[in-house]
Amino acid sequence: MKATIYQVTRRDFLRQTGVGAGALVLGCTIAPDALAIDLPSLSELKHGIPVKDVPFVAIKLNGDIVIITHRAEMGQGIRSSLAAVLADEMEADWKRVSLRQAPADSTKFGVAFPYPVPPETQLPYPYAKRDVDKPLFIVPADVAQFTDSSRSMAAYYMPMRFYGAALRRAFIHAAAKKWGVDPSECYAEQHKVKHKGNAHRPLDYRRLLLGAQKVPAPTYDQLLDALKKPNEWRYINKEKVRETFNDAADMVTGKVQYGADFILPGMLTAMIERCPVANGDVKSFDATEALQVPGVVRVMKVSIPSPLGPGGVGTAFLPHAGVAVLATNTWAAWQGRRKLKPTIVWDLSSEVAAANKDYDSVKYRRTLEESTAKPGIHVRHRGDVDSGFAQAASVVEAGYYVPHLGQAPMEPPVATAVLKGDHLEVWTPTQNPDVAQWLAGFVAFGVPADKWEDEAAKAEMRKKVTLHMPLLGGGFGRKSKPDYVAEAAFLAKENPGVPVRVQWTREDDIRFAYHNAVSHQYLKAGLGADGRPTALLQRSAFTSLFATLFPPPRKGFPADLNSMFEKKRSEFRLGGKYPYGSSIERSQGLEDMPFDVPTLRIENCGAPSYIRVGWMRSVANVYHAFAICSFADEMARAAGRDPKDYLLELIGPGRILELENEGVEEYYNNEFPTAKIDVPFSGSKVFQVVGGYPPDTARLRKVVEEVARMSDWDAKKGTLPSGRGLGIAAHRSFLSYVALVLDVSINDKNELTINEAHCAIDCGLAVNIDRVVAQVEGGINYGLSMAVLGEITVKGGAVEQSNFDNYPVLRIHQTPKKVNIHIVQTDFDPTGVGEPPTPVVAPALANAIVAAGGRRIREMPFRNQNVVF
Amino acid sequence: MSVIQLHVNGTIRSVNVDGNMPLLWALRDILGLTGTKFGCGVAQCGACTVHLNGKAVRSCVTDVGVAALAKITTIEGLGGDHPCQLMWIDGGVPQCGFCQPGQIMAAVPLVDMCRDKNILPTDEQIDDVMRGNICRCGTYPRIREAIKKAAGVTS
Repeated sequence: MKATIYQVTRRDFLRQTGVGAGALVLGCTIAPDALAIDLPSLSELKHGIPVKDVPFVAIKLNGDIVIITHRAEMGQGIRSSLAAVLADEMEADWKRVSLRQAPADSTKFGVAFPYPVPPETQLPYPYAKRDVDKPLFIVPADVAQFTDSSRSMAAYYMPMRFYGAALRRAFIHAAAKKWGVDPSECYAEQHKVKHKGNAHRPLDYRRLLLGAQKVPAPTYDQLLDALKKPNEWRYINKEKVRETFNDAADMVTGKVQYGADFILPGMLTAMIERCPVANGDVKSFDATEALQVPGVVRVMKVSIPSPLGPGGVGTAFLPHAGVAVLATNTWAAWQGRRKLKPTIVWDLSSEVAAANKDYDSVKYRRTLEESTAKPGIHVRHRGDVDSGFAQAASVVEAGYYVPHLGQAPMEPPVATAVLKGDHLEVWTPTQNPDVAQWLAGFVAFGVPADKWEDEAAKAEMRKKVTLHMPLLGGGFGRKSKPDYVAEAAFLAKENPGVPVRVQWTREDDIRFAYHNAVSHQYLKAGLGADGRPTALLQRSAFTSLFATLFPPPRKGFPADLNSMFEKKRSEFRLGGKYPYGSSIERSQGLEDMPFDVPTLRIENCGAPSYIRVGWMRSVANVYHAFAICSFADEMARAAGRDPKDYLLELIGPGRILELENEGVEEYYNNEFPTAKIDVPFSGSKVFQVVGGYPPDTARLRKVVEEVARMSDWDAKKGTLPSGRGLGIAAHRSFLSYVALVLDVSINDKNELTINEAHCAIDCGLAVNIDRVVAQVEGGINYGLSMAVLGEITVKGGAVEQSNFDNYPVLRIHQTPKKVNIHIVQTDFDPTGVGEPPTPVVAPALANAIVAAGGRRIREMPFRNQNVVF
Repeated sequence: MSVIQLHVNGTIRSVNVDGNMPLLWALRDILGLTGTKFGCGVAQCGACTVHLNGKAVRSCVTDVGVAALAKITTIEGLGGDHPCQLMWIDGGVPQCGFCQPGQIMAAVPLVDMCRDKNILPTDEQIDDVMRGNICRCGTYPRIREAIKKAAGVTS
């Protein structure tokens, strides 16, 4: 282990981070190459680039600290939360800390975590089945900025602590040397090193800068010793702190810049009329009238050459083909686009587009229901489910439907790009900066097909493309897909020297979201005479996001291209064979279904895709949790039992789910290991920085018990007036455990009121308590939008909704009247927060409506089921 | 195209645009006042809320020619220490923050009225004023609390 402080002299770093060239800037590096273990040669590593010289911290001459934040900030508060971890361990005075957003560059800002492990390391399930060269990191450097799957804090909590502790230690050692005392006599407090005996006057960090640079890098043992004890934390896991770890101050004045707020000299704004059908193309258009609109400068086809054709099913993040109107301002571009639209003739002749144009999502529901009426691929089984059903005294069965949904972040997608010579500069809100940078480079400069996976080509592209990341006006998964960045890069390439901003409208955002999967779930349970389950069968059909990422086999493709993608699909996290789901989706509430039933069979049924399926807040958990948590309530009612008591019985005793013993070949577990990875070093010592995160029913039970207490479940039971009821749901996702009780009223006109929401979350150590609570509040409201209001339908291959009038989302008067959130404090390492509160909302609401005397709702959105909201 | 004089945040600014250009785009693209946000373009989300003569309007559907007759206030003109702004910070309201300038501009007339009359807003009043403003992060509970606090803060 090496942790050193050194002077940063790179001009590009100083410029990009805005620290200022006049400052003495110290970087802090923690690199794994001094680990006393036999590492594989770094050049042999396919995953992850152990990054050296990553200046996450810069210290100015006046002692002020600049913390570089590499993750995208989209409302989850991660950039200040991670910085607070570092500042806490560093004993920095938060008033003297400022934050800078890192541009896209995984070679400079990527932190591979934890560290590579030697080949002989015993890897826990599910890694044990993999080749030893992957994954050696939870987060490899080359995806370190990919802000997705609620894993920022889980992955970077320890690195940030190490950085901060190493810096604090360096200052302490510098002061000790200056004073001629042993470092153990010194301690740091709020930007100063102090002497325990008060024999010396405290020294501000600014007076220790040069000395700190000369402190030798600590060994791994010394670094572990340098970490604060939890009772020494000042910011981490504190309920009430003076400091505010969020960006609120600049947000309320309108000062902060979002994606559309960069106004460059000579900039043109582009609006694009896109082909409504995935994989379609532009046949012809007439620009005459559009060009007559004052301010309109140019009209041109947006066509990105690719062997895969225009964006759609199987073309990852390539945009739908379209025609762009470029103008001197947004309104002119919009007016020009209106004139242009009727003149465009789309080309839907390709085999894929022709299939897509017949897609009707209402009819498709029937296809999904038929798919789940037949056996699918077995993904998990316990015992003999058929004999379990044979023993049953009664059978409960139900089907659950969830339509396509759109993320609809408040800020519609936007990207600005300018090509100057052979350099492209991009300003864009993205959750996926590394891929956005690569895709922008691919579009602007071209990449031969055989260089797609080439590291040298990627390194070259990082030099050619600078991608700045402003704050995101919401993300929810939409901004993980940089198709809009590709559009800006294309128009910048076609208009060299001219900055071009591609502005999406809300209509564009809703029509061309990468929509969440449409899904049908079939569940069947056998109940014994005592009401306890004897067997459980679940069949899940959903359109997989892998159909978007990797093309399904197509007649039009060369055979080698088809086989290449087939191979990629199967290798990549056990992607299912088309049209089945990937291990990512299966892991989200299907394979890891927690119920303790004697016999069990879980199947995945096929579902072909005809639009770009993507992901949104909590992804496959949306439909899996809706189905299983609703069904638990249906089973309880069939058994004549209290739903909360029955739920606890279904969850059963506290235990680790041993999925490998029940046929789950590789459980995705959000990329994290299910057990600690112990790496031996220096003889018998063990290098242990990453926790294990197994699915643990004891933690699930705990949140259920906690939420029952919070909501006064037992006392209220049977005492609520007619028309009012409580519903409960509990689910583990993104390694965290959430239970929700909704207290609702429904009157004789079917008008729904949500009186109270009680939520218990176990997300391991809650680092930034106020932001965790904010995410839970927001996650519940996001889930209510989905459950009651959200629905995307497709007819003739085109999305029918367009704006908030026909794709309604939750408004303030529909919000729960009272929200009560409790964080269950545990000793576990931090886990996901942004997504886990969302999946439990729809089932808790459906269950509450039944408790209030309403009828069982088995499909979203509830407003289609005669619920007035 | 015509030269239109706008009275924005206490100063007179000239823009040379079509009179039917929505005020939103004149503010953002011509005057560089980017604190006012584009969220839907059809008066459904409230991200573009500004004041005309102290009244909250949706600038995405207000012609710049109409706005020229009024005193325009945007989030940049609110001063930074309006009780709403202070309570928004105090309550940790914003998540992504994108809708918050519009939320604040929608709330300010109610809060100012309550402060003038020394009364507190009811939940129904807050719902009436704020239901036109969407927040996808779901910060509504904190918005409600911040409005109540801002109305009650003595300055």
